[in-house]
Amino acid sequence: MRSKLAPFAIVVVAAATIGLSGCSAGTGGTGDAKVTTITFGNWRTEDAKLWESSVIPAFEKAHPEIKVTYQATSTNDYNAAIQSKVESGTGPDVIMCRPFDVNRAWIEKGYFDNLKSLTSISNFTPTALAAWTGADGDPYCMPIASVLAGFYYNKTIFKELGLSVPTTMAEFTSDLKKIKANGKYTPLALGSADGWQLAYNVLDSIGPNYWQGEAGRLGLIDGTKKLTDPDFVAATQAFADLKPYLPDGYQSLKYEDMMQLFTLGKAAIIPDGSWDVTAASATGLDIGVFAAPVVKAGDQRYLQEMPDQGVGLNAKSKNKTASKVFLEWLGTTDFQKIYVDKVPGFFSMGTAAVPYTNKLSQQFADLKKGAKLTPRLALDRLSAGTPPLDDDTWAVLQTVLNDGVSAEAAQQKLQTGLDSWYKPAK
Amino acid sequence: MIRTATRYRMLAIFVLPALAIYVIFSVLPLLSSVILSFFNSSNGGSAFIAFGNYVHLFTDPYISGHFWNALRNSVEFFAIHLIVELPVGLLMAALLTSATLRRSRGIYRTLLFIPATLSVVIVGFIWRLIINPLWGVVSFPLLGNTATALPTISLMSVWEYIGIPMIFLYTALLAIPNDIVEASRIDGASPWQLFWRIKFPLIAPQFGLITILTYIWTFNGFDIVYALNGSAPGPNYSTDILGTLFYRTFFGSSGQVADLDLGATIASVIFFIILVTTAAYFVVLQRRIKTYEL
Repeated sequence: MRSKLAPFAIVVVAAATIGLSGCSAGTGGTGDAKVTTITFGNWRTEDAKLWESSVIPAFEKAHPEIKVTYQATSTNDYNAAIQSKVESGTGPDVIMCRPFDVNRAWIEKGYFDNLKSLTSISNFTPTALAAWTGADGDPYCMPIASVLAGFYYNKTIFKELGLSVPTTMAEFTSDLKKIKANGKYTPLALGSADGWQLAYNVLDSIGPNYWQGEAGRLGLIDGTKKLTDPDFVAATQAFADLKPYLPDGYQSLKYEDMMQLFTLGKAAIIPDGSWDVTAASATGLDIGVFAAPVVKAGDQRYLQEMPDQGVGLNAKSKNKTASKVFLEWLGTTDFQKIYVDKVPGFFSMGTAAVPYTNKLSQQFADLKKGAKLTPRLALDRLSAGTPPLDDDTWAVLQTVLNDGVSAEAAQQKLQTGLDSWYKPAK
Repeated sequence: MIRTATRYRMLAIFVLPALAIYVIFSVLPLLSSVILSFFNSSNGGSAFIAFGNYVHLFTDPYISGHFWNALRNSVEFFAIHLIVELPVGLLMAALLTSATLRRSRGIYRTLLFIPATLSVVIVGFIWRLIINPLWGVVSFPLLGNTATALPTISLMSVWEYIGIPMIFLYTALLAIPNDIVEASRIDGASPWQLFWRIKFPLIAPQFGLITILTYIWTFNGFDIVYALNGSAPGPNYSTDILGTLFYRTFFGSSGQVADLDLGATIASVIFFIILVTTAAYFVVLQRRIKTYEL
């Protein structure tokens, strides 16, 4: 009996649902005719819940005339998906922007509208906007979030060995020496199996203090500086000098091994990115953060701030007015407060200070005070050809640690690779 | 009675579905990949440049350096499989057919074959933990040393796939009729002679086939290296094989912009190398192996 009735029941229920939803859509449409729905294309599938339950409702409360649909594509497919959609005219109204080279290509292809007329843009410094500027120097994306690099340290070990938090390279080395002499702990949880880790979390973290941050980075881009200049060699030398403080067998230790070593309380310091604030404190250790030490006391301090996400306006969007309202809002502290609170390890790029509820996040954000910010060295323009400087750096830094290649030879190799294709715009 | 013409027409009809699938899913993609390698699409459009990409691949010092390095590593990757996997696989197969095992044969056969059913990612992960200098059984950084990294990964792969030549040769050995074996025993052959003079010549065609299959598998190899070391396999590209070089070029890596044309060129070269070697093997060697009617 039941089996015979089931199909009918399903049909009836389905018809009723369709009918009802049709009715409600109809009444909704006639009720508030001015509601505009805009779509927000991005690669942060992992943040869908946060955006849909916290960020977008907050925006829609302030702007009831606009509805935002969160449309996430997994990060590996994102570039291809956006390119095909935008070019066929079906792209989302607002689009999350990759930093630097990919986005520069998109700007050149005319995917985005110029955003310089938006008032929120003035909440950001030129350095913060640099990852998303076009060839004309104008901003094309609203900066959303960045990640920082620093050194996590185990406060308990520091107390036990009577160490103080280093502010200069000399103090840093002396701390590392003392930890090594004590013999109970690994001074620096660092392995060379993952090349990116050496570049992003170590060289691009301590290096800016040697090559004066943006001065050095932009100097490489406009061709006034070379990787073989003394500043760059000194940075790589400082990197190579860390070798005695690494754990045994560091050559085959991966990023996860290092994090385990640190969270088990067996290592005193780990060079890492802010995205790991949750992982680093997961085992309940008493952990602090310090910034890459300056070369000499009194020097200007530089801190690596890597732009991660921006949002731009699709040039072919049919809802530009509503999209601009959304973009304006993304540039305010109203948005930033909600966002950084929900995603520990990501930081607002605006000039106004935003409070962080996560203690380690707040410590990381405090490192920005008094520091000049600079992104990772090789990702802007210098890796858009073959050999890409970024990939080359990973491999070369491995040879510095594993095979004892000298800093001079390493920098020479990188410069030769870059010279083979990169022509600075004059 | 069916006329010959009708018979051929029927043959064509029966073959057509399989042929269509083969052409659509194998031949066309292969051809389009080869065709792609003759174009340059980096500047928006798509320009025909004949062998330009191939010239670039073999003359550009950076790219050709990576290519020869990857080719050398692929040869080493294959050589280790050839030297370790096949002889040990043969030994295991011979032991499995030995009469003394009897009851436990099924257990050994299953146990030895189990690794081949595991996912490469799991095999890589387990072995990485076993040989991890911090928590593992050896303190030497096997995967971090440019001299030992590739042999280590090759041996992991051998460990995983050894069940395949074993089961392949084992079934071939089982197919040898017992009367031949008994006859040679009566003639006074020692176990050693029995295996090398009687059994091995009978399974030589299968041994040749598994050799060439191993060659194809290892030259198309990619997964275990990618699972352990990613698409820019370190240290300093010492574990970079043709598969990972292709992947890195075609799909791009973190800092490397994807180059579809050059990637297709590398794919075509890999295809050509495997094609020529396999063809040469079949023409020169496999034909000369004597097959015996049993």
